[in-house]
Amino acid sequence: MSETKVKIRFYTIADFNEEEIWLRKEHQSGWKLVKMVPPCFYHFEKCQPEDVIYRLDFKNNGENADYMQMMKDYNWEYFEHCVGWLYFRKPAAEVHTENDGELFSDNESRAAMIAHVIKVRLLPILAIFLCAVVPNATRISAESVGNIIFSVICSILLVFYVYLIVHCTVKLKKLKDEVTIK
Amino acid sequence: MTETGFYILFCLQKPQHGYGIGLQVKKMTDGEVSISAGTMYGTLSKMEKDGLIAFFAEKEKRKLYQITPLGREILDLEIQRIKRLYRNSMEEI
Repeated sequence: MSETKVKIRFYTIADFNEEEIWLRKEHQSGWKLVKMVPPCFYHFEKCQPEDVIYRLDFKNNGENADYMQMMKDYNWEYFEHCVGWLYFRKPAAEVHTENDGELFSDNESRAAMIAHVIKVRLLPILAIFLCAVVPNATRISAESVGNIIFSVICSILLVFYVYLIVHCTVKLKKLKDEVTIK
Repeated sequence: MTETGFYILFCLQKPQHGYGIGLQVKKMTDGEVSISAGTMYGTLSKMEKDGLIAFFAEKEKRKLYQITPLGREILDLEIQRIKRLYRNSMEEI
């Protein structure tokens, strides 16, 4: 049984580029990702240090055999999926042109993937926030006048939620603009 | 039409699967145009949905596609456009 470790990292739906870079660095120092447990637990296994490129694709409608075969043909190793995200990797030594190391080679397809993340992940979060979190927070804060600790916890959660939504919205929009303007 | 779209449609004048198209395009352009896996898959799916190409057969778990009459029409228009572009680019301003 090889040595394993679990690392806790929090990447939002807008931080997939950073996540890819981090996973590559881990592999360079001899740790390959084997499992991802949402929301933030990364299970690694000790391996030979190697420069391996990691890429994430977002497909909530499930991965079909045809898609997987195409990835395999392009030498992408599929090894994990997590709430719509598919994890692929390929040794850097097998990358001969810039696009060999990318999942997307034109801005249209890059923008389409980001648009898909916005539609399937960000918009529902926003809807839950507006339809459930905001009304409940208002109601709870009205009912719990006097209970300072409870109000403080609720406020912190609310601020955290707002921060996450703003962060994801701004960043996804920026990523999308970058590929649309080019 | 994007360059990726043009080459894919052009190659599908004969039945082919995604990875095969990728290799063919690389060869045709001396490696200058290389289409990544996700882009290839996404473009093929979109073209199939738009009726420009159609499923032809399945071979060793790979889907083969071929151009449709509508796709042919679009490709011809695009070739006309590129020819005009080329002619005009050769002329003095």
